[in-house]
Amino acid sequence: MIDKFALALGHALLGIAMLRLVVREGLDVDPLLARLSPKKRRARRAHEADAHAEDTDTP
Amino acid sequence: MMGLIFMAFIGFILALGVKRPFLWVLLYVYIDILAPQRIGFGPIQSLNISLVAFAAAFGGYLLLDKKEHVSFTARQGLMLALLAYCFWTTGNADFAEDAATKWDWVWKAFLFAIFLPFTLTSRARIEALALTMVLAIGMIVVSTGMKIVLGGGGYGNLKFFVQDNSGIYESSTLATVSIALVPLVWWFTRFGTVFRPHWAVTGLAVALIFSCLLIPIGTEARTGLLCIAALALLLLRYTNKRFLFLAGAGALGLAALPFLPQSYYDRMATITQPGEDESASTRLAVWGWTLDYVSQKPFGGGFDAYRGNSFTYRLPKTEEVGNTTLVEYAEVTDEARAYHSSVFEVLGEQGYPGLAMWLMLHLLGLWQMERINARWKRRSKRGDMEEEEAWIAPMAGALQLASCIYIVGALFQGIAYQPVMLMIIGLQIGLHTYCKRIDSARGSAAKAGRTGRGRNQRASGARDAVTA
Repeated sequence: MIDKFALALGHALLGIAMLRLVVREGLDVDPLLARLSPKKRRARRAHEADAHAEDTDTP
Repeated sequence: MMGLIFMAFIGFILALGVKRPFLWVLLYVYIDILAPQRIGFGPIQSLNISLVAFAAAFGGYLLLDKKEHVSFTARQGLMLALLAYCFWTTGNADFAEDAATKWDWVWKAFLFAIFLPFTLTSRARIEALALTMVLAIGMIVVSTGMKIVLGGGGYGNLKFFVQDNSGIYESSTLATVSIALVPLVWWFTRFGTVFRPHWAVTGLAVALIFSCLLIPIGTEARTGLLCIAALALLLLRYTNKRFLFLAGAGALGLAALPFLPQSYYDRMATITQPGEDESASTRLAVWGWTLDYVSQKPFGGGFDAYRGNSFTYRLPKTEEVGNTTLVEYAEVTDEARAYHSSVFEVLGEQGYPGLAMWLMLHLLGLWQMERINARWKRRSKRGDMEEEEAWIAPMAGALQLASCIYIVGALFQGIAYQPVMLMIIGLQIGLHTYCKRIDSARGSAAKAGRTGRGRNQRASGARDAVTA
């Protein structure tokens, strides 16, 4: 009886956890790393734009 | 019936894994720890579900998962080197058949621990792995804890789900692993996102921690008591009110004393009197034998090399006759006694090179977790950290404590290749790699930002010059 209770409780929690993980967006792509990466991209883009501006301003 | 329920649960996770292949990794973790095929009856016993989950976990990662930012770390390299070395010693083992039997599960445990960090690419995955481990071990711990509370217990008397005294279903191993997981269980009450912090989560965690602390008491595992003492000492580091913590722990310990059975006192008393206990005397004799053995075979004798040992020693036997206590010394001969220590287990089986790799693997983990803990704490104090990073330092602290407690327990048990602890190593590597990725992303962004600002200033200067 005790064994069945412990197994039922554990499996129920594990089952709920798995269901929540399946629908979770951040499981495969980490939101923090994804946010930091666009920053990197934005910075790179800004850097390229600045370089371009420098070229066009030079007489 | 139980077997069918297990099969239905495994089928459910396999189906969910079609959408998220990472769940197959968690499925293998669950099967490897709980061993449902050994609990249930019927078809589940004849099916090799462990192999199915192993293949699904690897296949799912190779064929379906994203493999961005994959890196092979130094600790994975150490595990691979140790695995290769074990393969070599198995081929030259003193007891080829026994060595092959042990090799059969050790290589799988190592391979999975090497593979695990590749899949831990996000915070959710790190947490999911920790949660699966806690829940799978929690099932064994809750069942055992309830039996202890309801009057069961005693050395070798407790009935686990599986009665073969192997793996995690060995009482001392279960005691060590359950105490090692206590800090990780507490982490979920503050930082869990699958089950968010809530009074129900805290209640469950408290009940689980209570059960974990009961395991060494109910199983009368002496190593477990040492692990509890180690946990209490180590927790002092993370406690602001140390005096209050010490007083509370002392009061709790004293309050528990009247409820402990006499057999528990008798068994614990042998910790301080090793000469009167055969088990403790055997350990000392085996450790001495191992040192002699590796002085002749410094590269080790392969798995289960201890089977070659044999020694005779004198043990005191006390007998009470009326008011008189008679002490007689009797000669005891032991053969093929196990190492009773992971350090001597690795030393005897893999020699000095194997021991060096094994120690480095664990010490490097302690150091890495210490660095992560310290750095993210500093960042938190400076306010130089995103809100989503608050979980990192406590997770590193919990994993470091798990390693410390495992090492304390491993000093007195042959659990050098325990799969759960190898999974903890995988988890530590995963966390370390994740933190490096955060650092790298932030560092690149900052560098690019600085360069961009520099160019902006130069461009603005050039424009001013042209205008002038």
